[in-house]
Amino acid sequence: MAASSGSLRRYALTRLALIIPMVLILLTVVFLLMRVAPGDPIQAALGGKLSAAQLEEKRRAAGFTKPLIVQYAEYIKQVFTLNLGTAITDNQPITTVLKVNGAATLELSFTATLIALVIGVPIGLRAGRLRDSAFDAGGRLFGIITYAAPVFFVGLLFQLVFSKWLNWLPNSGMLSPIDQAELPAHTHLSVVDAIWDHNMSAFVDSLKHLAMPSFTLGLLLCGVVIRLIRTNLIQTLKGDYVEAARARGVPEHKVVMRHAFRNALVPVVTVMGLQAALLLSGAVLTEETFNWPGIGNQLVTYLNNRDYTAVQGIITIFALAVVFISLLIDFVNAAIDPRVRY
Amino acid sequence: MRRQQLFATVAVVATLSLAAAACSSSKPKAASPGSGTAATSAPAAGGKLQQIVLGTTDKVISIDPAGAYDEGSWVLQWNIYQALLKIKAGTSDVVPDAASGCSWTNTTTYTCKLNPGLTFSNGDPLDANAVVYSINRVIKINDPNGPSSLLSSMKSVAAQGTDTVVFTLNAPNSVFPYILTTGAGNIVDPKVFPADKLLPDGPGDIGSGVYTLSKYTANQQAVLTPNPKYKGDDVLANKGFIVHYEQTPATLKLDVEQGNVDVAWRSLSPTDIASLQTETSKVKVVKGNGIEIRYLVFNTSLPPAKDLATRQAVAYSIDRNAIANNVYNGTVTPLYSMVPAGLTGATQAYKDAYGATPDPAKAKAVLAAAGITTPVNITIWWTPSHYGAVSGDEYTEIKRELEATGLFKVTLQSAEWDAYSKAYNKDQYAAFELGWFPDYPDADDYLAPFYLKGGFYNNHYDNPAIDTLITQEEGETDATKRTAELQQIQTLAAKDVPTIPVWQGNQVAATGLTVTGVDKTFDPSYIFRMWLIGKS
Repeated sequence: MAASSGSLRRYALTRLALIIPMVLILLTVVFLLMRVAPGDPIQAALGGKLSAAQLEEKRRAAGFTKPLIVQYAEYIKQVFTLNLGTAITDNQPITTVLKVNGAATLELSFTATLIALVIGVPIGLRAGRLRDSAFDAGGRLFGIITYAAPVFFVGLLFQLVFSKWLNWLPNSGMLSPIDQAELPAHTHLSVVDAIWDHNMSAFVDSLKHLAMPSFTLGLLLCGVVIRLIRTNLIQTLKGDYVEAARARGVPEHKVVMRHAFRNALVPVVTVMGLQAALLLSGAVLTEETFNWPGIGNQLVTYLNNRDYTAVQGIITIFALAVVFISLLIDFVNAAIDPRVRY
Repeated sequence: MRRQQLFATVAVVATLSLAAAACSSSKPKAASPGSGTAATSAPAAGGKLQQIVLGTTDKVISIDPAGAYDEGSWVLQWNIYQALLKIKAGTSDVVPDAASGCSWTNTTTYTCKLNPGLTFSNGDPLDANAVVYSINRVIKINDPNGPSSLLSSMKSVAAQGTDTVVFTLNAPNSVFPYILTTGAGNIVDPKVFPADKLLPDGPGDIGSGVYTLSKYTANQQAVLTPNPKYKGDDVLANKGFIVHYEQTPATLKLDVEQGNVDVAWRSLSPTDIASLQTETSKVKVVKGNGIEIRYLVFNTSLPPAKDLATRQAVAYSIDRNAIANNVYNGTVTPLYSMVPAGLTGATQAYKDAYGATPDPAKAKAVLAAAGITTPVNITIWWTPSHYGAVSGDEYTEIKRELEATGLFKVTLQSAEWDAYSKAYNKDQYAAFELGWFPDYPDADDYLAPFYLKGGFYNNHYDNPAIDTLITQEEGETDATKRTAELQQIQTLAAKDVPTIPVWQGNQVAATGLTVTGVDKTFDPSYIFRMWLIGKS
């Protein structure tokens, strides 16, 4: 036992130590990519409005003409002093952008994951249990279609049907303009803010706005969940302990739920953990389609405007989030499965 | 197991809630009349004033006047701050705003006297020192996105007492009053705005304009409520304004169709506008004068554009009416001078010189006279990421028109804006598309940037006669003489063809059927005067 906990500690320390070079490499790549790409924030905002000489003067004032190594040193210093700066193109502190837009992405991602699990788990379970049946074939087909269909296409289709034709749902945004104006932003999570403020009208409005984007993104994830659950359930149903349970006369639904399903969930949890990290940026197309003011949407705007400060700040936080989520999953896996540590 | 059941219950309830929301009909929420204090009492036709929602794809760079030089930011600023002068709605005339009057003391000294008793929305006094502080602050901060370059003609600004401001210019500049109407001239509260850096955007942006900014979420929403301390002469037709920022024209169009926004303004595509014009039971399309222009630029040092005859032959071959009707569905107007129609001094110099319709015979003759072999191979550049995807259709049409004469073989090339705007400045493009959005509605803003020696875009155009005329008109105080000089510049430039004006944009908005007043604010200044918009 002592040897086991020692190896886990050693593993954890090694993984922690690896974070530093990993983050440094990420920061350097982000910095270089932004400089390699043509243009800069001044050119993007004022090109065609000012003469070449005036543009150059503005660039100098903004510090973009300093040697790259000096700019890099300033950037690294900013990151390590936790000062992410202010976006050049909209005068917003990056911490505010992360708080406001990050909350919108979190709300969308969380709801989408919930929808994916609510739809995907039962279908995956039943498909795995009734392997090669008509339901299994239908479930697999549904999973493949939802996974393969481009998210913007599904989004536009939803908008056309539920917003344009049926007029059931608002086509875009997080809240209707008037509700948004009246609702205080306690958390920047529209549903939570509406509950916090005891505002039933805003609550219903926020759910209506959340419905289409979260179903669009949820369906995409749902395909992954269905396939994972089905495949792993089929594997676990072949296990000796399942056979033994059946031999003891345990009812089939208990065999599936208590014995097979629990074991089948282990890889699903791992993959869903990674999916959650990817959702931080993966929701960008959904956000773009539905004018959802998330962080991915905002990042695209900043990228188009070549806003170095904003892009670097947001990607730094993304990178750190992904690194720490991966680290957490590694620890959990190492704790569950001793083979990982060796 | 209980935890699993709890989780499952929560998940199912949440999903069902979303489904229930989906099943209930989505009716746009009507703005409810509230208790906001109007800056000046002016209920619309006996009814209650209502809150108006404006949808736009414009972006806001900064609400601080020292940090923005773009239409999206200025739309908010014009409604939150006052300047000494403003442009009267429906005209291009400069009239007093915070000032009671301004006048030229001599050709380089401009003096303004403030209205008495002005205050900012927080109650702080607005005096001459606040004006001087605001103007100097723009120059001192010199923000990369700021309008400091607009004030480059100013030598100094000083307060005389508490109610007089004196501007001293480097050289005579007849358009200086217009510059004071731009964002560079907005007056801020010295007690609130730091002298050497921008103020973070939000309700702390204190001005003395018609509205105060009561809530602001960047790239999402700005909420403006009437400023009870406003002492100007503008009359409110609404009880507040919400500006709702949209990502794409497609969602903007859907929002105005569904009544989620009352006014959709900038930038609906020509196709969207054509579609909305047919939906007369839901929306109405309002059009007004606009002076945004698009034009083709020639680099006069690069072949084949360095040959005057080639440039003139292109001018003879372009069919502006076809571009306006076939590409833009009639939402733009053919343009025959760099100075758009509607501005004082505007002519139709290119129509006079090259006709209103293509004339291949004259094009052929001018090339033959210069000994140029046809077809002339010419590469024309355009950009899809600054002027919209319609630019591609526009230049496909221009290619078709030029090749239809049999005199040109056109290759179209495109590049993203960042690479594009650098390349044309570095003599890499012989012919390229550009557009111009005015800082202020005066002909000089359409002539000096393009025709002065060297060219604003480094296209090597040089005509000393034009340089002299521009210097003269900028210092001219006699309006008649100045108009004559402006017209002369256009005639000379049309002969040299360093640029070919193609079209002039109209301002177009789609509004709900009960919305009023949008037509009143559509004028060449592009100032969106929110206070004029109401609902009947």
